[in-house]
Order: sequence, then structure tokens, then C-alpha cells
Amino acid sequence: MNETRIQYHGELEEVRSDLIRLGAMVSETIGRGTAALLDRDLHAAQVIIDGDDVIDDFCLGLEERCYRLLALQSPIAGELRFVLTSLRLISELERSADLIVNVCKSSRRIYDVEFGPQIRGLIEQMGVEATFLIRAAIDSYVDADTSLASALDDIDDRLDELQVAYVQAIFRSHSEMNLNLQGAVQMAMIGRYYERVGDHAVNIGERVMYMVTGWLPEKSGAARQRLREAEAEAGAESSESANTTDGAGPAVQSDSSPQDGLGEFPDRP
Amino acid sequence: MPASSLVILILGLFAAAALGYFAAKTAPRKELPKEQPEPQGSVVPLDGPESEVVGPTTERPTEPSRPPAVSTADLLERLRDAIEHIEQGVILCDDSGTELFRNQSAKQYVEARDGLVLVEAAVEELMIKALAGRAVRREVELFGPPAQSFVVSAQPFTDGAGLGALAIVEDHSLQRRTETVRRDFVANISHELKTPIGALGLLAETIRDEPESEVVARLAERMIVEADRAAHTIDDLLELSRIEFGDETEFDEISVQSVVSEATARIASAAGHSGIEVIVDLSPQIQVLGDRRQLVSAVFNLLDNAVKYSPEGSEILVTAIVESGESDRSEQAPFGRSFNDSSTGSVVKLSVADAGIGIPRKDLDRVFERFYRVDRARSRATGGTGLGLAIVRHVVSNHQGNVSVDSIEGVGTTFTLSLAAIQPLQENP
Repeated sequence: MNETRIQYHGELEEVRSDLIRLGAMVSETIGRGTAALLDRDLHAAQVIIDGDDVIDDFCLGLEERCYRLLALQSPIAGELRFVLTSLRLISELERSADLIVNVCKSSRRIYDVEFGPQIRGLIEQMGVEATFLIRAAIDSYVDADTSLASALDDIDDRLDELQVAYVQAIFRSHSEMNLNLQGAVQMAMIGRYYERVGDHAVNIGERVMYMVTGWLPEKSGAARQRLREAEAEAGAESSESANTTDGAGPAVQSDSSPQDGLGEFPDRP
Repeated sequence: MPASSLVILILGLFAAAALGYFAAKTAPRKELPKEQPEPQGSVVPLDGPESEVVGPTTERPTEPSRPPAVSTADLLERLRDAIEHIEQGVILCDDSGTELFRNQSAKQYVEARDGLVLVEAAVEELMIKALAGRAVRREVELFGPPAQSFVVSAQPFTDGAGLGALAIVEDHSLQRRTETVRRDFVANISHELKTPIGALGLLAETIRDEPESEVVARLAERMIVEADRAAHTIDDLLELSRIEFGDETEFDEISVQSVVSEATARIASAAGHSGIEVIVDLSPQIQVLGDRRQLVSAVFNLLDNAVKYSPEGSEILVTAIVESGESDRSEQAPFGRSFNDSSTGSVVKLSVADAGIGIPRKDLDRVFERFYRVDRARSRATGGTGLGLAIVRHVVSNHQGNVSVDSIEGVGTTFTLSLAAIQPLQENP
């Protein structure tokens, strides 16, 4: 009995250390991908694209382990939230790596586009910020640090600002005829990929908040939606007193089951 | 005759360099034999306790004077202690893969949260292969930053109890970096010296068979440019070696303002040519102890770079501030002169900031290497020798200071020299 508990805790610990590894793989990928883009290194880009398979495989194995934990150990309370959060983190990190793969694929398409120093500098900074955000997100998870987790959104503003400046630089470059439309669109998408990596880091922060406190930051949005639904329902009831069972569907979902909100991530403004 | 005196001068320089080289080579040899007789003489108490610790285990384990020196258990304890503290990471596991031992250095890979955890991942993977009876080895390259490079090797081994495995992690980052620097240096110096010489040869060949005087004149013009380039490179190399030897360094109390104004005067025409304005903003009271010629050369090189890599009509800002940093560094009487009494650890930070093209991040820590080029095509167009920042670095190291660089591509670059300050006599409240 005692041995199973030890094994169980060992497995939880393994999930944690594997997630750190996954985070390290992703942040390495961001740095390498940015360098490949800036150095026009198609070989390095291909290595990263191929290397994503390793990350995917690693993610799958880790996910499997989490499922097994859920099925065989039925963790409760904090440990349940830990496993659920870890599951979410896997997909956030996996997706972040995919975004860098997109950057690498784009770098092949814009091989002939010359970037000016300003654009290069902005790409570099976006890479640095994205790496930093992923590292900070992993730190918040490992330390169960809610203040860091909730600060990620604000830290992400820096990346968002860089992306805005980057898009402006592309416009300028395009209007000065240094960049054709095709190149400009590809470049703009690259900016978007970095910005999305930051969003994934913010999502991780939200999940870490949930892991520690049991409170989903998105509940505010979900609560507003329920309020609206309730209002709409009340309005409908006053005009037409029949047909109550149909509208009850979403309202039945109670706050006690956090999974309900998992499906829809409201896009942050 | 000017030509012969030039030859004599060059020969003299070579002779001086050769002498210096010899002196440097022979100096340590002289010290070696000096060290050996010393322990037998009067200096024994100093070396005594140390040799006692080292002696029995490593050098003279079978010396008759102390045969029952260490028991097996004691020896094991010491070995364990030694392994615990060596630089390499050592991890030991039994036949089931359970970890038996991990030394201090190897612990960092488990505790890390950045790329270093990937080293641990490699250790685990290789350990499994080693337990299956294979000796394996893998290089782990971390992008970082900072970029790091590790070699992980694992092998099976038999101890009394059964089959287990041993993994060793070696940090090759420094070695890798040194290799790169050396390789690039050789490639760059040959490029830098061969290009003008090659061009001169080709141009001369063309001139030889060229009948049209107009073309000859144009080619000769090109030859002059190439010859100037080679001469400039050699000048900078000589300057660099002079500074490196540091023999001629003369330290005086000099005002930073005078250094900066001399350097800005030298750059004025080049800056004016590109419509670049050099703005100097510093207090005339700031003083440092240093060699005027060298400091002017350092500041000039920074300004020269700033002008070369800035767009037309931009500004270069030269500033100097005094920072009182008591906790800054351990500055233990670098020159043993009045320097130490007068400075209370204050540091002059002299910065040259431009709004130029900037330096890519990956090149930032390499720009001080000799002949290192961020962008070869561009630097050939601007006509630098690739030695300017190497000269700056050597000047500040002669002054026990340091130089740092901060840059964002497309935004600008700031170089900062940190030099020990001399406090003016209560002029500044």
C-alpha cells in the first residue's frame, strides 16, 4: 500500500520533471528557430522542423502518462488539478513549438527577402521575449507561483508591443518598396507566430492559477456569458412560458466542475 | 635616405618583437628550477600542510616512512570526496537503473529548469543503453543563451554486486568557444591580409599588359587604395601589439574631457562627411589614471565604428559619469601607486552611443575578437581593419577596466568603457 503511494508520488514528480524538459525543448526551439530565420540557415530550419517530431512524440508519451495517472490513481484535489493542468500545459507547449516550426517554414518562403536592421532587431527581440515568457511560465508552474503566473499577461504586453512595432516596420519597408507584398505577408505572419507563443505562455499562467487556487481566471468571461444567457432566458420566459428545458442546458453547468470551461478559450483582446 | 631608414625601422620592430617573444618564452623557464629547491629551503612551513594532505594519497602511497597511512574505508571516503568535487558530472547507477551516486557537478542538471535539463534527459537515455551493455557517447548542444556544449558518455561496468552503469558529463562550452575563436581568427586574418595583396598582384598584372594610359591610371588608383588598406591593417596590428605588450604605457592623471575632445577632433572630418553630429556631454572634472595615447586611441576607435555604422544625419552621444561602486569589483592596487588611495572604488563610465544599424545578439560577445566581422561585405565597404574593438579591449585591460556593449539591431549600439576614477579634490559636492 505504502509502496503504491510512493510510486504514485514518484510518477507525479516525473510528470513535473518531464514538463520542465518539454519547456526547455520549446524554449531552445524558439532560440534556434529565430537564429535560423535571421541567419537564413535553411539547414538549421529543417533540423528544427524535423526536431518537432521528437517534441510531438515526447508530448504524446507524457500525455499518456497523465491519462494513466488519472485512470489508475484517481488523484483528488490539488493533485487532480496538478495532473489536469499538466495535461493542458502539454498542449500549450506543443503548440508553441509548432508555431516555431511555422516560423522555420516561412523562413524558406522568404529566403530572398532582405530584412533591414530594424526588422532584424525586432525579430530578435520577439524571439527573446517569447523564450522568456515560456521560461517564466514553466517557472510559475514548477514553483506554483501565482503572482508570476498572473503577471505573465502583463509581461506578454511587451511582446505584443514588439509585434505591433514589427508590423509597422513591415508596412514602412513595403511602402519604401524594399519589400514586396508576398514577402510582407509572410513576414507579418512570422510576427503573429511569435505573438501567439506569448499567448500560449499566458494560457499556461492561467492554468497554473487554476492549479494552485482552483479558480479559473476565465470564469469572469464565462460568468458574464451565463449572466447574459440567464437574462435572455428570463426575457424569453416572460414572453413565452413554455420551452424551459432547452435553455437549461448551459445553465446547469455548475462552477464546481472546472472542465466545463476548458473547451472555449475566449480570445484575449 | 628615407627608404633605408624605414627598412631599419621595420627591422628594428621585428627585432624588438622577437626579443619580446624570447623574453616571454624564457621567463617562465627560469622560474621552474627556482621553484624546486625552494621547498627544501626555508619556505617549508608554507607548503607543509598542503603537501601532507596530497602526499600520502597521490604521490607516495607506498613510501616506507608511513606504511599504515590510510585504511581502505578512509581511502574510499577520500575517493568519494574527490569524485564529489571534480568538475565533471558523475552519475552511478545499479543494474536496475536506480541511482546510487551523483556528484555535486551533476546535481545541477537535475535541479535546472532551462536547457540544462536536456543534459539530464540525455544522461537518462544513455544510462539505459549502458545498462544494456553498450558504451555510448553523445554531444548535447544548448542554444541558450548562453550557448553551451556538453559531452555525455555512459558505459556499463561491473562492480562486486553486479552490473551497473556510469555516466560522465563534461562541459565543453569553453573548449568549443576557444576552438571557434581560433578557427575564425586564422580564417579572418588570412582573408584580411590576403585580399589586398591578391588584389595588388592582379592589378599589377593587368597594368603590365595594358596599353591604354587612361586604364593604367585607373588601375594604379585602385592599387593605391589596396596598398592603403594593407598598410592600415598592418598599422593597426602594430598598434595592437604595442598595446598588448603594455611596456610603453605611461600612467598620468588625465581628464576624460581632454581625451574625448582629442578623439572627436580626429573623427570630425569623417563624421562631417556623413553629416553625423558628435555630441559630447560630460563634466570636465572627471579624471582617470591612464595612458593618454591609448585612451584616445580607444575612444577614437569607438567613434570610428559609430560613424561607420550610423545612417547619415544621425547623432552620436558621448557621455561620462562617475559611479561610486564600492561593491563593484576587487580592485586591489592595480598599479600600486597613488591610484589606490585616491580612488575609493569609483568608476568612470564613458559611453559612446550611436543610432546605427546595431549588432546582432549572437555577435555581441564576439565583436572584440581580432578581425571578427559581423558582416564581411559591409565592413569591406566601410574600410575598417577589423581590429578597432580589439584595440579598445586591450587598452581597457591595460587600465584594469572593462568594456561592455549593448545593442539592438536597427536601434543602435552603446559601448561603455569602465575605468577607475580619480576623485577630484572636493570640487564636486
